[in-house]
Amino acid sequence: MARASTTTDVFNAVGDAHRRAILDVLLAGEKSVGAIVGQVSMPQPHVSRHLRVLSEVGLVRCRAEGRHRLYRLAPDQLQPLYDWMSKYEQAINARLDRIEDYLTELQRQGDDSDT
Amino acid sequence: MTPDRHGSAIITFPNDLEVVITREFDAPIALVFDVLTKPEHVSTWGTTPPDRMTECSIDLRVGGKYHSTFVTGDGTVFSFHGTYLDVEPPVRTVQTWHFNCWPDVEAIEAMELRERDAVTTFTWSLTFNDQAGRDHMKGFDGRQDSLDEMEAILESLLTTRVGGVSES
Repeated sequence: MARASTTTDVFNAVGDAHRRAILDVLLAGEKSVGAIVGQVSMPQPHVSRHLRVLSEVGLVRCRAEGRHRLYRLAPDQLQPLYDWMSKYEQAINARLDRIEDYLTELQRQGDDSDT
Repeated sequence: MTPDRHGSAIITFPNDLEVVITREFDAPIALVFDVLTKPEHVSTWGTTPPDRMTECSIDLRVGGKYHSTFVTGDGTVFSFHGTYLDVEPPVRTVQTWHFNCWPDVEAIEAMELRERDAVTTFTWSLTFNDQAGRDHMKGFDGRQDSLDEMEAILESLLTTRVGGVSES
């Protein structure tokens, strides 16, 4: 199976802990690169590089204000990831719920046969 | 009256190599262990149509092997196998984990049970050995075959270690 490159795929883009940290910071609102650097323990060139990746997959948007570039989240692009995670959770829970129901049924039968 | 715990699984990724799932059951630990490791139980809750389990063997002892195969509604085959490294009823099994769709990957799978105040906590973990597994975990591309593979792994959650106990 061909792997999507980091710069074209939201799943890969958020597969990096540093980029997730940047997204966390942007949850609070629009910020300049300098402000982001101040909140994550990464040198500015690294932050800029991660921001470029996040911009290319559409997870953050950028606008110029004077001499600064301000970055903000574009959360709608997280939808595929959210959908995937929901499916993941549903698959797990469906399985564990069936086990729970089965355990309940077994114990009910056990109680019945005791009387 | 026991609480409804439906949908209450907790799924975490403690690091790049590990997935951990935790869930509580209102049942004694010995019963939970049996339900998770005996084929007569697993066959009852194990799969839902249209998926079928076509193979399920287990030798629940250290050095023993397990092998399970699922066929989905569209005919896709998912197969899991491995060797038990630790078997301590009713609290723990640890086994190697191989998945037919990821032939370059080895992982260690562990199941732990703990009972307290009539509630049994079940913890399932899958820990990849190296970069190859890590790449697969990070390599979700969101396409359907990728989703199907991940779902199959999740669906194997318990059935990899259960099934046709060799008759003695």
